[in-house]
Amino acid sequence: MNGLIWGLIIALIALGLSLIFGVMGIVNMAHGDIYMAGAVLSFYVVGMFGNFWLSLILVPAFIILVSAPVERFVLRPYEGHHSSTMIATVGISFIIQQIALGTYGGIPKKITNPWPVSFNFLGVDYPGYRFLVACISILILLGLWLFLYKTSYGILLRASMQDREMAGAMGIDVNKVLITTFVIGSVLAAVGGVLAAPINQVFYLMGNDVILLSFIVVIIGGLGSLKGTLIAALSLCSLEGVLASVLTPIQAKAAIFVIMIMVLIRRPKGLFTE
Amino acid sequence: MDIRSENVAGRRETPTYFVIIFLLLLVLMGMVLPKGARSLVTHMMIFCILAMGYDVCFGLTNQCSLGHAVFFGGGAYGVVFSILHLKVGVLPSIFFSLGAGFILAVIVGLISVRLTEAYFVIITAIFFAVFHLLAMDLTWLTGGDDGLSLKLPSVSLGSVTLSLYHPMVNYYFVLTFLAISYLILNRMARSPMGKIFVSIRENEKRVQFLGYNVFRYKLMAFIVSGVFSALSGGLYALTLRYGSADFFSFHWSIMPIVWCLIGGLGTLAGPWIGVVIMSLFQYYVSAWWTYYLILFGIIILLILRISRKGILGYVISRRLN
Repeated sequence: MNGLIWGLIIALIALGLSLIFGVMGIVNMAHGDIYMAGAVLSFYVVGMFGNFWLSLILVPAFIILVSAPVERFVLRPYEGHHSSTMIATVGISFIIQQIALGTYGGIPKKITNPWPVSFNFLGVDYPGYRFLVACISILILLGLWLFLYKTSYGILLRASMQDREMAGAMGIDVNKVLITTFVIGSVLAAVGGVLAAPINQVFYLMGNDVILLSFIVVIIGGLGSLKGTLIAALSLCSLEGVLASVLTPIQAKAAIFVIMIMVLIRRPKGLFTE
Repeated sequence: MDIRSENVAGRRETPTYFVIIFLLLLVLMGMVLPKGARSLVTHMMIFCILAMGYDVCFGLTNQCSLGHAVFFGGGAYGVVFSILHLKVGVLPSIFFSLGAGFILAVIVGLISVRLTEAYFVIITAIFFAVFHLLAMDLTWLTGGDDGLSLKLPSVSLGSVTLSLYHPMVNYYFVLTFLAISYLILNRMARSPMGKIFVSIRENEKRVQFLGYNVFRYKLMAFIVSGVFSALSGGLYALTLRYGSADFFSFHWSIMPIVWCLIGGLGTLAGPWIGVVIMSLFQYYVSAWWTYYLILFGIIILLILRISRKGILGYVISRRLN
């Protein structure tokens, strides 16, 4: 159950990663640090206003303001060259991590549970906040699906994903699409961070675990395949949750890693790409 | 194809004088440097081997790997385990480290080399992350963060017995390996195989059409690169006289990329310049500012923006025109 909820959060993050890769060809190594930034910012919002729910609005707004210029002025020249984008985003990831270390400090802190209610679920008390996280994540995923598949802007975005040059030739403002995609991807990661902040400890290196897991998810699902990413995130995290009850956390991670290798040997492009 | 290979050969001729001057300078510097600076230069020479090894992978065949920390750490633990558990001497332990690097590179290479660029980058990064996690976790084997320390047996060369505890001996020991590695790699880069590596970088599809087995050559480059990274890791463990899970950390994956980009991709000796610049930068700036990694990130972005040829690449392209 915990695994499934964690899987929903990972799905948010990995979908952002997959979207950014699919449309722009960026291997975003800084994605985990955007997640971390979301958590750290929500810590500050709670400290300043005393209201956790406010951070669900303020943090994405802040991330939009920062990520749009970063995409336009820093990452634009490398787009499509996978290794260059990877190196550039590693640089960005260093910058974000060190800024967080400098301002927030290196000690893990915890945000108090914003909704301290627990449900009785099959005889086991279950924290209400986790249910809420699941509901919010599902709502966001639904919203993303509606945006991508039911609005005209989503069609533009998917068109650029399939063939960017052709999309440009058809009169689509690719510049706007690229910025929007990067912003959406970053906001997804940041919201994941905000939601995870009361569950996990807030720490300046917390992105490293998440980036590893989301990369594994994206690889298994197939780079740039949104459906594959979603399915892989949910199934892998549930599996890890089940495994973690039998094995140590590291062994569970290693098991997931072995599964990924197996999948790669059979299907070098992931499970859900054509 | 003809013009291109001539061009490539021309690029190779140029650094020779640079390499000779650099190595001679190192030989002389070993005698006059004060103690602290000598150990810094020793470390730099070890990093030079790592940088050259990485250049075979990234510079010659354009495979941008993030997993070289695996080979660096593997090489270091090859030395540590063979000396601790098998009680071998220093020179045989280096062979163990090369062997460890070879095996790891074959395993990682077989899985990752055939994938497309984006998958390759991500998979090598995942490999690095998993090995780092395992090394941190299996404390009974690796010593975790604290590491395992070594007692070095002395090296006997014929009638002379040398102890690596003496910093001067250590310095020339590492320098010898640097020179040998350069000779081997330079010979390889000038050989027909090296030419194929470079043509894979320039145009992979065309090489395939010419009937070469691209996968095999890329794998070979990857393995050679892994073995030299392992050599560097082994020498580093010998110099520091310990090995810890830190040898698998992200530092050893990202630094070679930066060295190669600064110094000049595909020039083998060019990354040496990058090593010197970055080591001095780290040595001085990290003492001055705790969060120097911010500057480091900015440097990465700047290098990528300005030029991917690097310093030596720039010099060579000026000479060619």
